[in-house]
Amino acid sequence: MTIETGGSRDGELSVRGLSKRFGGSRVLSDITFSVIPGEILGLIGPNGAGKTTLLESITGLCPVESGTVCRHGRELGPEERRRILWYQPDNILPFARQRVATTLSFFRHVHGAATAELDELITGLALDAILAKPLQTLSKGYRRRVLLAIALLSRQPLLMLDEPFDGFDLRQALSVMDLLRRHVARRTMILSIHQLSEAEKICDRFLLLDQGRLLGIGTLETLARQAGLAPDATLEEVFLALT
Amino acid sequence: MPLPEGPSRARIARYLLGQELRSLLLSPALWLLLAIVSILVGYSFIQAVALYSQASRTALSFPELAAGMNPLDGILVPTFGAYYLGETLLLPFVAIRLIGLDKESGALKLLLQLPLSPLSLCAIKLAAMGLLWLLTLLPAGLVLLFWHKMGGHLHLPETALLFAGHGLYSLVVVTIAMFAAAISDSLPTAAMISLAVTLGSWVLDFAVSGQGGTMALLGSFSLTSMLHRFETGLLATSHVAALLGLALFFFLLTTFWLRPGRTTLSRLGASLVLVGILASLLAGVLQTSSALDLSENRRHSLNPADSRALRHLEGTLTMTIHLDRRDSRLLDLEHGILARLRRAVPHLVVRYAATGATGLFGASEDPKYGLIEYTYEGRHDQSYSNSAEEILPIIYRLAGITVRAEPVPAYPGYPLVADAGPTGWWFYLVIPLLCLAAGLHGMLLNFYQTHR
Repeated sequence: MTIETGGSRDGELSVRGLSKRFGGSRVLSDITFSVIPGEILGLIGPNGAGKTTLLESITGLCPVESGTVCRHGRELGPEERRRILWYQPDNILPFARQRVATTLSFFRHVHGAATAELDELITGLALDAILAKPLQTLSKGYRRRVLLAIALLSRQPLLMLDEPFDGFDLRQALSVMDLLRRHVARRTMILSIHQLSEAEKICDRFLLLDQGRLLGIGTLETLARQAGLAPDATLEEVFLALT
Repeated sequence: MPLPEGPSRARIARYLLGQELRSLLLSPALWLLLAIVSILVGYSFIQAVALYSQASRTALSFPELAAGMNPLDGILVPTFGAYYLGETLLLPFVAIRLIGLDKESGALKLLLQLPLSPLSLCAIKLAAMGLLWLLTLLPAGLVLLFWHKMGGHLHLPETALLFAGHGLYSLVVVTIAMFAAAISDSLPTAAMISLAVTLGSWVLDFAVSGQGGTMALLGSFSLTSMLHRFETGLLATSHVAALLGLALFFFLLTTFWLRPGRTTLSRLGASLVLVGILASLLAGVLQTSSALDLSENRRHSLNPADSRALRHLEGTLTMTIHLDRRDSRLLDLEHGILARLRRAVPHLVVRYAATGATGLFGASEDPKYGLIEYTYEGRHDQSYSNSAEEILPIIYRLAGITVRAEPVPAYPGYPLVADAGPTGWWFYLVIPLLCLAAGLHGMLLNFYQTHR
């Protein structure tokens, strides 16, 4: 099976031969792909596929056995990665005891974002009602929105979000997708998503991952062709055909 | 339109420092530490003043006893004993939060992506802890103020040295707690590791007391023992370097273990290299160790004429001591004239002769027991005395020199009869209530914001 890894375009981020083991088991196997500037790349796979590990490996937060992360064909060191990538992990509660407004203000300052930008995010994510509350007291949906606001305040050109739609109902998910679409005009995104229906709605291309192996990367049409399906096949059909 | 560049590292560091201070100030552990330290310091101070006053009454009746009334030993050291307890048993619980809480909440994953190195990140956290450590000195500041207002005497160099000693000790404890949090997955584990090290050092100090050789050397570098040196007014470069070295060691270890993308094996390797570097540096410092006596009563110093004469001894002075390690006479000798000789004589060799079996009532059967033998350039002498007044003339006789003591002003002593009881309101009520209010403020605010 031939796997398309994406062309070599100027300004893109390339991941080459990324492999990682946890104890005796291999969690990432020789992952190679490229990210096209301005796109939303969906990292698709079931729970335990290795999506979070892949994101943390790209960011440099967790050690890898082998592999490189390059930009403009040049390997990125830890400092350059911090300048270019921002990874928003899933299920974290930064500064949980302090007010959401204080936490957002802190991240606005350290990212150097404008006050107007934060105000826009507060409105866009409907955070006004919970600004005075501590993060630890919020519902899963609100927590997720606060984390999204922190991520969108960052300046790095490549944004990686782990399960950004988890905990949202359909209407909230669509609203967040709209917000991300507006932001993608200025940056590239990699979204780790396990709900295929949501991924299909927002992502330009998909990277299918299962048990640490790269099953395919490309547009839905390309992947359908790779799976031997009709061009109008759904992401779910493609994923099932390839796994 | 591309995103604008982020702020400078210096600005990020400033915001992060503010965030760290906010996080620590919201922690009830900090206020609990301050409240407990205040009560302990207040109790120690009031008791110390009562005992000092009792002794002073006798000294005021018999002026020759006044020289024994020293505020450093009588008031400050016992009062700061309360800080020692707080720093050893409570401070780790506050300090582990610097790293542990961010690790548990996941905030660390975000902070490590900021354009700051793990070294800068840890330095900012340490700076925040340092600023709040100053807050915990509030009861100590009040002690100095009240003592001064009562008419008590304070000698600035020895008082400053005492503060510096506790500052260095706290620095080591904080860096140990940071390291423990960096290698642990949870706050309770980190707390246990920190306490194991600080209490372990305390136990080591007990365990090696009365022992000689390597154990004695090891014991002299336990955290407790090193802090004790600062309490006597002796500024020894070896102990300053050892405490600073330990703090730097644990601080760098913390940064190694927080550096993302490293395997456990590479972190262990880096830690071992660091151990090697630190050991070499400390060995170097110990070779060139020097000391400065900052005590007002010059308890660590010989008469200036004696010091000068001993410094010029070119040959090797060998002292062979026939005393058991646990004999109080040896302890007096070690802490008295021998400690001064070690600092003054360039080539001094001290041998501890085997004392043989002890008799029925603990007395040695060795006929030489209690004897101290002196050898200098082939000449030999011996004595049973452990006092400077007898030992120094023996050494001068062997060296063939005559030394005339310089007149130095005698330490007058500072007897004072006072009552510190009324100050108890501050230590037992005002400060603890303020701490309680500050701690509860965070908790109540949290409750109100949650249920509004």
